[in-house]
Amino acid sequence: MSIRWDWSGFFDYLFNGFLLRGAFTTLWLTLAAIAGGLVLGFALAMLRLSPIRPLSLLAQGYIWIFRGTPLLVQLIIIYTGLPQFGLRFSVVQAALLGLILNEAAYLAEIVRGGILGVPQGQSNAGKALGLSPAQVMLFVVMPQATRIIIPALGNSVNGLLKTTSVTSVISMEELLRSTQILIQEKFLVLELFTVAALYYLLMTSLWDVVQRRIEARFGRAYSSIRAPEPY
Amino acid sequence: MASRIETSGPALAVLLLATTIAGSAMAQDCVATVPDSALVEPGKLTMSTNPTIPPMQFVDSEGNLKGMRITLGEELAKRLCLEPEYIRIEFSAMIPGLQAGRWDVINTGIFWTAERAGMMQMIPYESQAISISVPHGNPEGIASVEDLAGKKVAVEIGGFEEAKIKQLNEELQAKGIEAMEILTFDNFAIAYQALQAGQADATVSIDATAAEFAARGDFDRALHGLFPTPVALAMSNVEVAEAVRDALNSMMEDGFYQSLMDQYGLLANTEPFIIRGPND
Repeated sequence: MSIRWDWSGFFDYLFNGFLLRGAFTTLWLTLAAIAGGLVLGFALAMLRLSPIRPLSLLAQGYIWIFRGTPLLVQLIIIYTGLPQFGLRFSVVQAALLGLILNEAAYLAEIVRGGILGVPQGQSNAGKALGLSPAQVMLFVVMPQATRIIIPALGNSVNGLLKTTSVTSVISMEELLRSTQILIQEKFLVLELFTVAALYYLLMTSLWDVVQRRIEARFGRAYSSIRAPEPY
Repeated sequence: MASRIETSGPALAVLLLATTIAGSAMAQDCVATVPDSALVEPGKLTMSTNPTIPPMQFVDSEGNLKGMRITLGEELAKRLCLEPEYIRIEFSAMIPGLQAGRWDVINTGIFWTAERAGMMQMIPYESQAISISVPHGNPEGIASVEDLAGKKVAVEIGGFEEAKIKQLNEELQAKGIEAMEILTFDNFAIAYQALQAGQADATVSIDATAAEFAARGDFDRALHGLFPTPVALAMSNVEVAEAVRDALNSMMEDGFYQSLMDQYGLLANTEPFIIRGPND
């Protein structure tokens, strides 16, 4: 059996404007979802850690539902179920909303883990200095928690870059759906999926660089200070 | 409501690559004419189908494959003395899968086109056209293709319907008519679900599917009979294709074919079946 692979087709698609637009959609969907997810996830983590039991239970319930059901089902419900209750979202709105709601549940647990990872003594020290609970959280706990959160957050961004492809189920034309649409032109299946894979790889690699920078910034206090080399 | 649940069930099921053995055991005194070397799996006629198009191919509430094309495929296998085996898969994977030797026959109502006939052995055996389904009562008053201007139109990705609605869209735009917004979904169940939810103004599907949904009372068929085109079985292996052609001809001779087409209100072939190449 001969190998079916068309190099010229591969290179044509490598710089195809339609695919690049799909990749751009994937990128902004990811960034918007992670930003929205972080805000909502932080709020959920605060509720979850709240000593007020109903608030904590509310957050637990949210996390339980959104982590416990497939994103695909959540998207279909948001896009085709909510209109029956008078809530109509466009494809883009429904895709973004689904990704944010889903991601927030995961990020809430990551943020909570980061906060719990800061030793209790730090909060106590803050209180002893006369800081309010909000000030303790903002100036003492969060800067240290952020350092713990970033590696797990990086994992989420990487995963989310690929998870955005699920939104194609409600006809969102992101990178993978754009690839599927182009496949029908010449049926260069492997060539096109390889191009898409390279785009995903490029985006996840770029994120790796960004993440390393952020980690270095928040890890300053922990980087070892080297003595100058003796001459 | 109940019918909608039934149609979304198979939609989720086909997302998994599921294999089903359909039909009963072959007759003992039967001798297979197709050599094992020509088959994907010895002793079996492996067919791919996307069971989301009632009444042509769908999954009933017990999870069994049903429909006109399923019956046709089972009869084909019986006459070839092979065990029928169905692979349920999305349409977009059908042609690559045939080329990669994953199944012997595409039995999902694939349309004959010259481009496809150049890539596969295709035997046209029914005629299909596409319809425009709209919500009950046709609120947008769609009475001609021109009325689709500026409307949201839902369609399954990867098939003839998508290609034709895009072609229609370009033709209309060339006449200075506002473009449609074409929404592509993984399968018809979700495309119709989007129509039901008011997320789309119309759904494009084959005539039989649109007629079935209209008969259930869920949607109206605003337009039908657009782009009448032959539907085919597609094979990769020539020996398999010739055996399928001969089996179809035997069905035509003993009347099985005609009665099946009549049962589903389809236009039957009158000429003997042939493997139709790109220039025929």
